[in-house]
Amino acid sequence: MRYDWEAVYLDGRTATRQTAVIRLMREGIEITPAGSAARLWPYREIRQTQGFYAGEQVRLERGHELPETLLVSEPAFLASLHEVAPHVGRRFHDPARRRARIRWTILAGAGAVATAVAIYVWGIPALAALVAPWVPVRWEESVGRAAMSHLAPPERRCDDPALARAIDETVTRLTAPGPPSPYTFRISVAKRPLVNALAAPGGYVVIFRGLLERTATPEELAGVLAHELQHVLHRHATRAVIQDASTGLLLMALTGDVTGPLAYGLQTARTLGDLRYSRRAEEEADTEGMKMMLAARLDPAGMIQFFERIGKEEGPTPSALTYLSTHPLTADRLERLKVMARDWKGTPEPLRPGQPWADLAKRC
Amino acid sequence: MDGQEPSRPSSFFRKPTPPGGGSGPRPLAPVSPPAGAPPPPPPLGGEPPRFGPTPPGDFDSVRHPVFHGSGGTLFGIHVVNTLLILVTLGIYYFWAKTRVRRYLAGQSEMQLDRFAYHGTAKELLLGTLKAIIVFGLPVLLLNMIRDVLDVPVALKVVAGLISGSLIFVFFPVAVVGARRYRLSRMSWRGIRFSFRGRVWELVRIFIVGSFLTGVTLGLYYPVFLVQRQRFLVSHSYFGNERFGFTGREWDLFGPFVVSLLLTLPTLGLCWVWYVARKRRFFWDHTDLGSARFSCHVTGGALLWLWVVNVALLVATLGLAWPWVRVRSIDFAFRNLALVGPIDLTRIEQQAQQAGSTGEGLSGFFDSGFDLA
Repeated sequence: MRYDWEAVYLDGRTATRQTAVIRLMREGIEITPAGSAARLWPYREIRQTQGFYAGEQVRLERGHELPETLLVSEPAFLASLHEVAPHVGRRFHDPARRRARIRWTILAGAGAVATAVAIYVWGIPALAALVAPWVPVRWEESVGRAAMSHLAPPERRCDDPALARAIDETVTRLTAPGPPSPYTFRISVAKRPLVNALAAPGGYVVIFRGLLERTATPEELAGVLAHELQHVLHRHATRAVIQDASTGLLLMALTGDVTGPLAYGLQTARTLGDLRYSRRAEEEADTEGMKMMLAARLDPAGMIQFFERIGKEEGPTPSALTYLSTHPLTADRLERLKVMARDWKGTPEPLRPGQPWADLAKRC
Repeated sequence: MDGQEPSRPSSFFRKPTPPGGGSGPRPLAPVSPPAGAPPPPPPLGGEPPRFGPTPPGDFDSVRHPVFHGSGGTLFGIHVVNTLLILVTLGIYYFWAKTRVRRYLAGQSEMQLDRFAYHGTAKELLLGTLKAIIVFGLPVLLLNMIRDVLDVPVALKVVAGLISGSLIFVFFPVAVVGARRYRLSRMSWRGIRFSFRGRVWELVRIFIVGSFLTGVTLGLYYPVFLVQRQRFLVSHSYFGNERFGFTGREWDLFGPFVVSLLLTLPTLGLCWVWYVARKRRFFWDHTDLGSARFSCHVTGGALLWLWVVNVALLVATLGLAWPWVRVRSIDFAFRNLALVGPIDLTRIEQQAQQAGSTGEGLSGFFDSGFDLA
């Protein structure tokens, strides 16, 4: 057991290093700076602030605002300290624990990966589902209004009264069987060739002319509308915002402080991470939309036919692909809808009996 | 100390650098984040001392900071931090940050003595809460008035203007607050650094600088940069010794214009040389007492550092960032020297009682207001 060590003493007032001899005692460290009197630092007043890693000198401080400092560079010092004064326990680092630290670090790594996956798969969607209902519908509406002014500005809107009436009837038919909702649905048709339909937050839905022209029956349009209305009712846009922000935070926690080129990579990871959530939202809108169709006694074949037709329409028409890029139609998604339709025992009632549709769909 | 405990080894040669590196605290003037390909150590051995007869006291003629940190250790710290941040839903972030800073400071050495970081996580947490209350909430509210709420258009415009101009206050406050906090928590040989600049001076520099930069289509920017640097450096202290900045406002203008002209022919690569030039200019004009900093980073070395760093990050999907950080700090330290005599016996502790002195905004942000 070695009691005496060489150290450097800093008084906390000047930048002068004083060499000192220190002696480990049972109740504290006795310090004798060269040329001055000895003093005793009781262990309970000493803080260790450096010397936890290999190659670091041991730094002991005493006092709060501007502490006096003792520096010991020999690594064996800490081991001796624990031998001389075993009662100090964890107040001072014990180099013997360093091996265990590697094991704990590996465990922590595995734990971090598991936790991150759990947060991504369950935590973030649960958080979004929990928070979204608390976002006031009025806020969603003003965001939706702003989005609509870009998607379907007034001069691009199709204001055909007969078409508007047909769409209103469809929405009423779809929403009537369900519970009352806080949303007022405002459906507009935009004069753009895109084959797509989008739901903005707060009850705003826009259908692009390209999609409308491709519907063969009113039931097909009802299928698209049911899907979009479900996006609104389930607050998918609001949830997506919450999920995107949370994914960003999760990635930040995983990568530390990121700047420069890595930040772009992080943005890509974030977009990829959001994909999973948006796919789940699409699936939910599909199945819930199908339930909505069935509850309204609308022919489920309409929804399926339209999705199938759009799915086949590939190749030279890039406009059709817009719908697919925002509504990826996988085979198993269609299959699920078909099963739901097959299991339905009800009889469909036509939406617009005896009224021609093709003419209405091409009005804009 | 590292075993050689006498305090005055007047060696003119560089202490051999141990393997590994890390991002140490930059005790002095702020420079853009160091990047780090390790070029061969600069040829210093033969450099003669630039100042005359050696005064008594604690001094070497050419001193290099040395970084001892290792990427592996930093990675271990990061792994544990990540787990704790996730498990605590982010609260541990402040402890994590403090741990990393403490490690990096402890691995940074100047003249056989390590730096020390004295900040605590609680301070950082409280500082962030302050920042959220004083800036975050008002800006959020103003942005909501502007974008979301149903209010008259005039009110939206006013809210937008206020939130836009708050930026001019927010940046300087954040820069000064962070610098004040970090320097006051950093020490070497037990002597604290400090920053005593007033936030309103930087607000003025920011407003005038942004305005003139806009009016001149960016040409004024290098002048603005030098003004900012002078403010940041010349109000920094080590104990009672003040840092000085001797660079002239228009000195960066030439390199800036040359880089602008060369941007197209060199596909933008010339900016790496500009950054190196800027770094040299900033450090070479920074002094402490009668000693002066000297930086010999070159564009080629900087480019190599960045290329390797980016390659490391891309190849490991970002996991290598602790090594990148270590390389960057090591690179910055290798290229930096403090030249000339310093009479350390004259330097005395003069800590700014961070958190309790000062008034108004700057005093309020004295402790822990550190967003960077």
